[in-house]
Amino acid sequence: MATQHTRFDFDPGFEDGRLRVAWYAFVAALVAVGAYATYLRITGGMASTNLTSIVPWGAWVAFYIYFVGLSAGAFLVSTMANVFEVEGMHRIDRDALFAAIISMAVALLFVWIDLGRMDRMYFPFIWRQLTSALSWEVHAYVAYIAILVTELYFSMRIDLARVADRTSGLKERFYATLALGRLDTSEASRAFDRRWLKRAGVVGIPLAIFMVHGGTGVLFAVSKARPYWNSGLFPVIFVISALLSGTALVMLIYVLRTRLFDGEAVDPDLLDRLAQLLIGFIVVDAALTAIETFIAIASLHPHEIETWNVIMYGPMSWSFWWFMVGFSWVFPMVLLSKRSWRRTPGVMVIAGLSVVIGIIAVRFNIVVPAQVMPVMEGLPHGSYFPTLVEWGTSVGMIGVGLLLYTLGAETLPLTPLSGGDHE
Amino acid sequence: MGRIPGDGPDQTVLVPPFPPVSAYVYVYERQNRPAGSTVRRRDERSRVVAMSTADDGDVFPGVPDVGKADLDAMVEDERPDPREELADVEADTDLGVAMAEDAKRVARGEITGDEYWEKYDEAAADEFGEAYRETPNPAVDAGDQTVSTETAESLSCAVGSMDTVSTESAQVDGEGRGDAGGGIGAGDETWGMVIDLQKCVGCDSCTVACKSENRTPPGVSYNVVMEEEHGEFPNVTRTNVPRPCMQCDNPPCVQVCPVSATYKMDDGVVNIDYDRCIGCRYCNIACPYGARYFDFGENYDDEVDGAGEVTSPEYGVDRGPREEGESPIGNIRKCSFCTHRLERGEEPACVETCIGDARNMGDLDNPESEVAKMADSSRAFQLKEDEGTDPNVYYLK
Repeated sequence: MATQHTRFDFDPGFEDGRLRVAWYAFVAALVAVGAYATYLRITGGMASTNLTSIVPWGAWVAFYIYFVGLSAGAFLVSTMANVFEVEGMHRIDRDALFAAIISMAVALLFVWIDLGRMDRMYFPFIWRQLTSALSWEVHAYVAYIAILVTELYFSMRIDLARVADRTSGLKERFYATLALGRLDTSEASRAFDRRWLKRAGVVGIPLAIFMVHGGTGVLFAVSKARPYWNSGLFPVIFVISALLSGTALVMLIYVLRTRLFDGEAVDPDLLDRLAQLLIGFIVVDAALTAIETFIAIASLHPHEIETWNVIMYGPMSWSFWWFMVGFSWVFPMVLLSKRSWRRTPGVMVIAGLSVVIGIIAVRFNIVVPAQVMPVMEGLPHGSYFPTLVEWGTSVGMIGVGLLLYTLGAETLPLTPLSGGDHE
Repeated sequence: MGRIPGDGPDQTVLVPPFPPVSAYVYVYERQNRPAGSTVRRRDERSRVVAMSTADDGDVFPGVPDVGKADLDAMVEDERPDPREELADVEADTDLGVAMAEDAKRVARGEITGDEYWEKYDEAAADEFGEAYRETPNPAVDAGDQTVSTETAESLSCAVGSMDTVSTESAQVDGEGRGDAGGGIGAGDETWGMVIDLQKCVGCDSCTVACKSENRTPPGVSYNVVMEEEHGEFPNVTRTNVPRPCMQCDNPPCVQVCPVSATYKMDDGVVNIDYDRCIGCRYCNIACPYGARYFDFGENYDDEVDGAGEVTSPEYGVDRGPREEGESPIGNIRKCSFCTHRLERGEEPACVETCIGDARNMGDLDNPESEVAKMADSSRAFQLKEDEGTDPNVYYLK
């Protein structure tokens, strides 16, 4: 019986006090850099970027789609536990959902700072345009965040109630509030939560695949003026690379949080399962990208060929070969190839980190190269590399994400108190 | 004769450029001048010039000495007889002549503008009736008015400023024309532009005229001329393709705007609402013609004093001086076919300035209009026709 489990001592947060200080100092440094860069961005306006009217989208847009992808991917991994009930996955359900929420928050921060008029960020909720993918997207993001929060609530509610039961004073009030006052820890209430968790997940899956991340791919793919984006396969690759980065992130978080917060041993079976998923996604991602590239080059469309030339042999080709091909496909594939490595937490952390970083280059290689080729012969070519302000703000917003995640991990019962799977 | 402001006697800038022909005339004049003769100083400007060029006496260099009296006589010959001219119109000839004579006195400063208008207001109202009362009152809203505000307000013709009245009258004229339609200012047009590439010499005057008309900041250029060289020496050709906003019938920019800040207007122009645009630059990405530009907030302050003090009333909205953090800074901008000029019955600046008359503006809806005929010709094409955007800018190859 789950409620009688021995692991009811609720003590989230870092096991090692010195590591906590070091980690918060690191995150504080990121946020401080970001705060100063954001100050420069706001006072200097968009002129503080290296963006131009020829390359109007840059690092912020790349990071925006990166974090949307990370979120969609992490969410879809969570549904393996709460919708498809894949064995042994419940352990990472809340981790995945919480990471998905934080990623969306960071993604929206990137959208916000990218607006020429940051003060008008709420306008898309006042005025709309039915034919605009972006108009649909902002609504999908809100609905998606609502689904994520709902899911996390139903996944975590029973443990919040248990924690509230065990604590007193302000703490009790805090956890009781998060449980929205539903403090029942009976089997019936758990079944109710499970049912609704699944329902929310069922709504969330198409929302995440077709609207949130597929839709973000559509946002680019509808631009007929940019043949590099204008393909039907493009949104599909978007979703696959989202799954790739999301799975890697969840794997990374699972190992780190189990080791550093819970002070427990990593379940090698679960790790292996995540690692095998990762292999699958890497293969599909690389294969679809190869197909897309082949179709583009076989079309002999000069714009397409030139763009791929820029990607593979241009001044920024290092980001394609080293980061996209190297860090997100080849290197992790090597690490994932051996069964014993897939069951070694240290190796999997490196593989996960490698993918999570590599996919950043994937996003940059989506956004920037399509703008290098002029839309018409006779117009100037674009060139772009982010300014320090753009890097600084990006680092800061990532820092905000890390801070929010850490605060959540230090206070919330992200590890199921009853041990995880199928109690 | 008054001086040009800033035109001090010690300045030498008044000497005109010295083209070979005028140099020849100048030398000729010097050689044929009787020894020791002095030439009468024509006016103060010539004196200034004379002072600045040490040894040429009093002659204005480069200008043949045609007698001023001769010129005046030539003008007098050409001048039509006022009574003959006025006899052809319905209005009272005597009143017309009297008003004209007094207007000259106003110009000479013998009577004031106030006295003039007070004297003729009633007579003019009787003579012209409604037409007079609807005449724009030149004094209203004019910073440098010659008639005092009190007098101006007492007049019968007090319907508003020149600007508003001209805009309104343009609309009224259009309605009056009925089925004929067409013509700039008619109010029912679908604006279209036809650019004759055979006439374009690639001088970039349109780009410059556009920048000065629309007062666009650095990095924003609504019109550019795409210059392409084809072939290999010695068989080389060069095409100059001016590129304003195409004002597409199916504009991809309108399609993608998440807040409907850009939209197609009845007159065919794609409008931007600077007060709604959030600056996401999606339209910038979507435009197949690269016609949209983001306003990064840069200025020509280093180049021009008070560069941002005057802005263009784009899309009919006067936003006053350019200020940091205020629209259109942080917004997307593009060519509006100079809507503010069209509404006044004027052609866009690029069309007006084109030295080869390569650019034409008119009503595509009116089959009789020049542009409609040109757009129908076998020479006509649109840029990127296969995009399905159906531009309202046509080119003649």
